Amino acid sequence: MSLISIFLIFFFYVSALIFISGLSYKLIQYRRTPAPLKIPIAPSALDKKGVLLRYFREIFLFASLFKANKWTWLFGWSFHLALVLLFFRHLVYFWPGEVPLILYKTESLKYAAYPLIFGLLGLLARRVFVDRIRYISAPSDYLMLLVFIFIALTGMMMTFANYHPNILMVKNFASGLITFKWSELPGEIIFVFHILPVFCIIAIFPLSKLLHAPGVFFAPTFNQVDNARKKRHLSDWASKKEDNLEINLESKNLKDK
Amino acid sequence: MAEILGAEVDEEGYLLKVSDWTADIAQAMSEEDGIELSPEHWEVINFLQEYYEEYEFAPAVRVLTKAIAKKLGNDKGNSRYLYSLFPYGPAKQGCRFAGLPKPTGCV
Amino acid sequence: MSTDNQIKLPTYVETPSIRKDSMAGDGPFKASVEIQNKLGFPGEKVENWQQVAINKMAETKSKYKSVQVFLDSCMKCGACTDKCHYFLGTADPKNMPVARQDLFRSVYRRHFTFAGKYFPRLVGAKDFDEDMLNDWYNYFHQCSQCRRCAVFCPSGIDTAEISMAAREVMNVIGVGQKYTNQILGKVKKIGNNLGMPEPALKDTLMDLEEEIKEDTGVDVKLPIDIKNSEILMVSPSADFFAEPHIDGLIGYAKVFHESGVSWTLSSYASEAANFGMFIGNYDVMREGALRIRKAALDLNVKRVIIGECGHAWRVAYSFWNTLSGIGTGAEDEYAMRLQNQLDSQYPQPQHMIEFTYDLIKNNKLTFEKSNNDHRVVTFHDSCNVARGSNMGDIENGQFILPREVIKAACNNFIDMPKNTIKSSTFCCGGGAGLLTDDLIDLRIKGAKPRMHALRKSEQESGVNTLAAICAICKSQFSKVLPNYDFDPYMVVSVHQLVSDAIVLSESLKQKD
Ligand code: SF4
Ligand code: SF4
Repeated sequence: MSLISIFLIFFFYVSALIFISGLSYKLIQYRRTPAPLKIPIAPSALDKKGVLLRYFREIFLFASLFKANKWTWLFGWSFHLALVLLFFRHLVYFWPGEVPLILYKTESLKYAAYPLIFGLLGLLARRVFVDRIRYISAPSDYLMLLVFIFIALTGMMMTFANYHPNILMVKNFASGLITFKWSELPGEIIFVFHILPVFCIIAIFPLSKLLHAPGVFFAPTFNQVDNARKKRHLSDWASKKEDNLEINLESKNLKDK
Repeated sequence: MAEILGAEVDEEGYLLKVSDWTADIAQAMSEEDGIELSPEHWEVINFLQEYYEEYEFAPAVRVLTKAIAKKLGNDKGNSRYLYSLFPYGPAKQGCRFAGLPKPTGCV
Repeated sequence: MSTDNQIKLPTYVETPSIRKDSMAGDGPFKASVEIQNKLGFPGEKVENWQQVAINKMAETKSKYKSVQVFLDSCMKCGACTDKCHYFLGTADPKNMPVARQDLFRSVYRRHFTFAGKYFPRLVGAKDFDEDMLNDWYNYFHQCSQCRRCAVFCPSGIDTAEISMAAREVMNVIGVGQKYTNQILGKVKKIGNNLGMPEPALKDTLMDLEEEIKEDTGVDVKLPIDIKNSEILMVSPSADFFAEPHIDGLIGYAKVFHESGVSWTLSSYASEAANFGMFIGNYDVMREGALRIRKAALDLNVKRVIIGECGHAWRVAYSFWNTLSGIGTGAEDEYAMRLQNQLDSQYPQPQHMIEFTYDLIKNNKLTFEKSNNDHRVVTFHDSCNVARGSNMGDIENGQFILPREVIKAACNNFIDMPKNTIKSSTFCCGGGAGLLTDDLIDLRIKGAKPRMHALRKSEQESGVNTLAAICAICKSQFSKVLPNYDFDPYMVVSVHQLVSDAIVLSESLKQKD
């Protein structure tokens, strides 16, 4: 096997390891950290169903972002939606062995690359040209967009331009990663340029702002039911303060009615 | 610590000790604020001090306006009139001139 | 309404271009040693403050899910950047919610994250040095914790949580704000923000009873410390002292009088406000809530009702059940001790607006609405009520109920532009410990978005009265309205509108 194949295979497992361990660490940390007070933000959900509805609106429609800024919403939403579609489109490569019929029908999802690149360029333009957003951007914020754009462009070149790699080798390589039956990379260097940054993204996921994806599910502002008056909400550390039931505050003389 | 006529004041210009107050201090403070103390001003200042002596607290604006109405006539017993005397607020500026601590809270 | 305008100015105040450092400075007056010590904080900046601060940050993020999650999950989308009234009013980029969080986040990244430890420049991680601390103090005291930014954040990030955490960290290293901490000391000692002693309070209440009697001929009482009353009324102490607040208090008294339900104030718990929230300190906030609990137990009341105070209602509605068991539905001994005494037929605690609204719905109150005909009223949704609470336990009740109460008492009611009210309401500019004279410049600038909306309603609908249900809002508006060429006396309590229109049944009988 070529050195570069070995390197990429190795790199994939390192990334995957960082991803899994880092993300589990974060998920456990988020789960374990108590939310001592009820802090849902309006429009708050008055029951559990409301919370689910809220998440539906936030996850699928980016409702808050829509309220905030239509351009950012348009770019952000197309980007994320395209990302999900393209994820399904890529499943066919990773599927080990017999591929279910449905995955062959994802062919046309490749066009999601256009909204993907549209969204990414829009987000980048906002970052560069809107002074407020330029101000809050760190180098990593640009870098991340550029990496995504790079991935998108190389992917598009392989799909829509004349840089098709050997599909069979792609499939063998990709599904080999899952089944531990490693095989050689296709010879086209563009393929390396496509997957190397993807592995990077996987690795930095739990170390970066990409944590917004799991984070949103743990935001007490979103996930709490607004029922503080009806149900006593008490965290562990707060309840310890009540071990002494009698509160030692001075007594006052009160007139009888 | 800043001082006015030898008496210590806090960073907002209020006397640290009520007992340090003299009429000259009130005069000096009002000059700094560009206000000339009229007899009406003195009515307010005197009432604030009397009330404070009894309750260790400045009177509510409503209580003050009523007292002033009794002393200076009904047309003057309203907060608009008091604000015309003390543009920074009868409670805050008035208390400062009178040597009383600044009323705190959501006021 | 020009739709043109709406498209161009979605928030009605043009989003300014950033002007770096336009609000740079040393922040509001710092608390003295004496003030700090009263709350159990160090009096002066401690020697190894960096280390103490980092430790406190670690503790805070391990105790508050909000802080931990929010620090990680900002994707720097910028959606919040034009949502803060302080940014809109000052153009200082550090007043953009995300930039404000970043003051905290950059230190967090430097000390607690892999990326920030090894690639600080790449991810904008920074050391906690003197300059950073100065920025913390300055800019975390340019946040009114109004949570407007949180309504628009796709990650649900609430800058107020970060702001509270930052103030807590600063207090622990001995850097506290004079205004807030001095007031907290007074609550501890005397029981209210004003530091108003019991005799002055009782005298004031008697004065008010006289006034109502003169005005209406009816003996409307303002009872205090009456045991076994049905209701304990806890209102912000500004209601006892300031204008126009006090007319709201008179309004509550009249409503209670008409309802026929016995009620009492408490000299021990004579404050609904709870500035403990502003400094993010659970214990201080809890202590405030415990005073109310104790008063409720001692006075043996069946219901607890809160007066017109924004953050007090958030604390009462969202936190009291947690902090001191004032609520319903508890299963633990501590909370049940109180909850068994309270009447669970009613929401506990309840807002005065809810109480009045219920009476209106049940036709228990009569109004002479024409008394308010000289007014064209609009309503300012206070941030803490709008975004951190509910009323009536119905969806959007916190927006519906106050408006219904106003409409019951007034013929002319008009809302301000849509994106400046309800959950998108703009802060008055004086919340969360910023209602102090040393921040007056900030207060005036921060009020700008609200003032623009008000101007629009004034010009288009002739609005001449601004009704509010928050002591801070009322004081802040009274102060800053003249700077925008409005009459400061246009601010009223919602219950002043009620008070002016309510028909006291005894006065009717007297006339007959
Ligand atoms: S909470 Fe309010 S004041 Fe603070 S940053 Fe957000 S919008 Fe601004
Ligand atoms: S809206 Fe939320 S995620 Fe976006 S920049 Fe502001 S705080 Fe960060």
